[in-house]
Amino acid sequence: MRLAKYVRFREEKFGGVLFETRSEKVFTLNATGAAVVREIAAGAAEGEIAGRLRARYDDPRGVIDNEVAQLLADLRARGLVEDAPRG
Amino acid sequence: MDEAPPAVAAAAARGAEDLVAPLYVAWQITNECNLACLHCIEESGPGKAFPDELSPREFRAVLDQMLEHEVPYLSFSGGEPMVHPHFFEMAEHFCAGNGNLKVETNGHYLTPANCERLQRLGVKAVQVSIDGASSKTFNRMRVLGRFDAALDGTRNLRAAGVPIEINFSPTHFNVHEIGAAVDLAYELGAYSFYSGRTMYTGNAVKTWRKIVPSEEQYAEFFATLRAKADQYRGRMRVYFHEMGLLEELRYRLVHPAALVIVLPNGLVKLINALPFVCGDLRRQSLTDIWANFQRAWRDPRVATFVDELATDPRKTAGLHEWIHV
Repeated sequence: MRLAKYVRFREEKFGGVLFETRSEKVFTLNATGAAVVREIAAGAAEGEIAGRLRARYDDPRGVIDNEVAQLLADLRARGLVEDAPRG
Repeated sequence: MDEAPPAVAAAAARGAEDLVAPLYVAWQITNECNLACLHCIEESGPGKAFPDELSPREFRAVLDQMLEHEVPYLSFSGGEPMVHPHFFEMAEHFCAGNGNLKVETNGHYLTPANCERLQRLGVKAVQVSIDGASSKTFNRMRVLGRFDAALDGTRNLRAAGVPIEINFSPTHFNVHEIGAAVDLAYELGAYSFYSGRTMYTGNAVKTWRKIVPSEEQYAEFFATLRAKADQYRGRMRVYFHEMGLLEELRYRLVHPAALVIVLPNGLVKLINALPFVCGDLRRQSLTDIWANFQRAWRDPRVATFVDELATDPRKTAGLHEWIHV
């Protein structure tokens, strides 16, 4: 998984923004969302992201897996991420 | 995840003041132009370059600041940006830093070689102004321009694989062609089509009586655009702003866009239609200017100016009579 071709990510104090330059739409991300997108931008595979965040952050309520899955589904539905080519 | 309205409207659900830098910089890299369009909001034309436009050393420094602050979207416009002697040098500098660049052009310099060069640079899009579906209307509006040259240039973009946007400015003598112009944009391979009301500023101040559409014409114009947006949904985006300038400015007073306008001499404006300048990239950093941008929108002189526009729409006539805030 990777950010779609025309999507730019920038970190902000509140988390981050995703800018889709074809439609000129801006999406704001909270700190969790920004952490997920940072992993995508760093090249993490979809299945690795939740594990990486669990290793880095406390998760006493056990919500990371669910939140990551929801956000990835949302990003995919909006065309902000795409599958990286295989090989 | 919150989605903001299109076109960087209100810096997303948060205010622009929450952002570390602008999301969009619209840079008029020169005021020189090969055409002398009746409606040009910048008073551009042959021999109209500012005497103090940024030097190559200065524009590289500005581009470096934009890359450093990860400005996600930069457009080059003018004047005609492709007549700038360092146009490709600037584009290459920004794109080499992984910047996302859009070029707004009249299409007359889009030779096959230039289009291939733009494609290799990876520009995000080239927006071509095609204000009509015939040479009769286009050539009347774009003095010294040639409809066929704009079409050939757009076809060269398509052949080179550069994403295409088309822009259309309405006048009373071309509004009837809007439907055909949208169809033409699709045939040319555009992925987006933009339009809105023509503004009373720049060259349009002198030509207003010859170009302004009537409200009846605008009503039909926007009705056609709504129908075309439906017709091309999923194939080409048809964007248009029905809002008049006064309405838009009142909205911006409350919701400033995360957008700054850079003039050819490095001055930074709040928004095209207003004379207010909030910084100078020759002397100030983008960070300082961005901070002042937030304050400047709250300056009472800006609100007063917008209020006075309600009774005197001619106040936008003094395009280059800058007021520093």
